[in-house]
Amino acid sequence: MIAQQLVNGVMLGAIYVMVALAFTLAIGILNFMNFSIPGLFMAGGMATWILIHRGVPWWAAAVVALIVAAAISLAVERLSYRPSNEGDVEVPLVSSLGFLVLLQSLVLATVGSDQQAFPAVLGDLNLRIGGLVIGAAQVLSLAISMVLVIGLTVALKSTSFGRQIRSIAESRETATLLGIDVGAVIPRVFVISAVTAALGGVLFALNYLQVSPFMGENVGFKGVAAMIVGGMGSVWGAVLGGLLIGVAEVLSIRLFGADTVDIAVYGLLLVLLVVRPQGLLGKPPAREKL
Amino acid sequence: MALLEVEGASVDYGRGRVLDDVSLSVGEGEIVTVLGANGAGKTTLLRAIAGATRLAAGRVTYDGAPLDGLSIGERLARGIVLVPEGRRILISLTIEENLLVGAHQRRDTAAVRKDIAAIYERFPNLAQRRHMAAWCLSGGEQQMLAIGRAIVARPRLMMLDEPSLGLSPLFVNTLFGLIVELNRGGLTVLLVEQNAGKALAIAHHATVIELGRVVVAGDPRALQADPRLREAYLGQGDDAAAGPIEPILQRGTGV
Ligand SMILES: Nc1ncnc2c1ncn2[C@@H]1O[C@H](COP(=O)(O)OP(=O)(O)OP(=O)(O)O)[C@@H](O)[C@H]1O
Ligand SMILES: [Mg+2]
Repeated sequence: MIAQQLVNGVMLGAIYVMVALAFTLAIGILNFMNFSIPGLFMAGGMATWILIHRGVPWWAAAVVALIVAAAISLAVERLSYRPSNEGDVEVPLVSSLGFLVLLQSLVLATVGSDQQAFPAVLGDLNLRIGGLVIGAAQVLSLAISMVLVIGLTVALKSTSFGRQIRSIAESRETATLLGIDVGAVIPRVFVISAVTAALGGVLFALNYLQVSPFMGENVGFKGVAAMIVGGMGSVWGAVLGGLLIGVAEVLSIRLFGADTVDIAVYGLLLVLLVVRPQGLLGKPPAREKL
Repeated sequence: MALLEVEGASVDYGRGRVLDDVSLSVGEGEIVTVLGANGAGKTTLLRAIAGATRLAAGRVTYDGAPLDGLSIGERLARGIVLVPEGRRILISLTIEENLLVGAHQRRDTAAVRKDIAAIYERFPNLAQRRHMAAWCLSGGEQQMLAIGRAIVARPRLMMLDEPSLGLSPLFVNTLFGLIVELNRGGLTVLLVEQNAGKALAIAHHATVIELGRVVVAGDPRALQADPRLREAYLGQGDDAAAGPIEPILQRGTGV
C-alpha cells in the first residue's frame, strides 16, 4: 500500500537528511567538501555496535560513539582542513577522503568486512495508525532529525554563535576583522557536523539492524545528492532533498524493483538539476549562506 | 600620556616594506587624521594597530600597555575597534544582525539592545529596514551601519578607514557630523581619509604618510593653510581648497 511506502520513505529520508545536513554545514560554512562524513556515519553505527557487544547499554554506547566521531572530526579539522587553509581547496578534499578510507580500513582490520547484525534494542514496539505500521526506531529517527534541524535553524538564526558562524560563512576575512575568533568557531562546526553524521549512523543501525565498515558509502552518496538537489549550504534544502530521495527510493523499489532503484533515484535527481541547477532551495547567483 | 602610541612601526608584504618606521600618537579624546595618497600604507597602519597585520618592527602601546601578540579579538575587548575600508557589511545578514555581530563580545544583552535602539533613533533609515538583508542598503547607509556596528562594540578608540569614500556630499556631511558628535561624547578617533579638507577640519592632529613613511605631522590648520603642503601631499591645487570648513573646528588642537 502506497501510504505505508510513503511512511517508510520519509523515515529512510530522515537518515539521509542527517548526512545531507552534515555535508551542507561543511560546505556552507567552511566551503569544504568533507568526504570523511560517510566515515563518521559509519563510525557512529560501528562504535555503538562494538560497545553493545562489550556489554555497554545501547544508549550509553551511542553517546560514546558520538563522542568518538566528534574526536575524529577534530582530527580531520586539525590534520586535513586547517593546514591547507590558504592553499588549494582540493587538498583537504582529497585528504578527507583519505580519512574515510583510513576509518574503513581500521574497522575492517578489527571486525572484518562482514555485515554485522545489530541487536533490536528497541524491541519491536510498533505504532499502528489505521493500517499503517510505524516502528519505534522510525519514530525516533524522524523525531531526532527534526529536532536537530529545528535546533540548528534556531541556533543559526538567533544566537550569537549562529551569527558568528554565518559571518564566517559569508566572509572569513570580515569575520576575522570584526574580532570573531574564527579559529575557535570552526572546530565547533566540525563537531556539530560530525555528531549529526554519526547520529545518522546510529539511527541507521537501530532501524535496519545491521552495520558494516562500508555502511557509510551508499548513504554518503545519497546524502551528497540530497544536499545538491536541495541547494548546497541550505539547511532546509538538505531536509527537502533527504526526504525526497528517501521517498523516491522506497517508491521506486516498489514500482521497479530493487535492481533499478539507483537508476530511478539518480535519474530523478538529474532531471531536477537540469530544471533547477541551483537546487530546490538554492539561490542562483550567490549561493545561499544557510 | 597618550591613549595610543605607535613607535617605529614597520610592515613588510613579501619583499616590499609598505610601512616604514611610522610613529604617531593619539591622545585620549582626540581626533587624529592620517592622510596620504593611494597605496601610502594607511590601511596597513590601521590593520597593524587593530592586530590584523603583524609588525616587522616597532611597537604599539595602548592605554599604557604594549599590544604585542594580542589578537584582534583581544584588542577589541580593550576597546580598539576598526571600521574597515570598504565598510565590510555582512550582506547576507540583516541590518540588526550586523549590529549584533558588532556586539558579539558583550554579554550585557539588555544594554546592547539599548545601544542598538539608540543607533536606530539616530538613523531611522536603518531602523525601518532592521530585519532586511543588509545588501538593500545604499553606500551611505552601509557606512552608517558599519559605524553603528563599531559603536555597539563600545569602543574607546575608533579607527575609521576612508569612511567617506564613495558617499554623496550629503552623506559625507552627516558622516563627519557623526564623527564629531561621537568624539564630543568622549570617543577617541583615528581617521584615515581621502577627503583631506574635511578630515583636517575636524582633527586635532594630522599625519601625512607617503610610500609608507611619515612626511608631515602636526597641526591640521597649518597643513590646511600651507598651499605647498596641500599641493605636495594632499593632491589639491591652490584654489581647490578643501571646501567650506565646518564651524565644527572650534576646539583647541590638543597637540
Ligand atoms: N595583502 C597585501 N599583499 C601585498 N601587498 C599589499 C597588501 N596589502 C597592501 N599591499 C601594498 O601595500 C601598500 C600599502 O597599501 P595600503 O592598502 O596600506 O595603502 P592605503 O594607503 O590604504 O591605500 P588606499 O588609499 O588605496 O586605500 C600598497 O603598495 C599595496 O599595494
Ligand atoms: Mg586603504
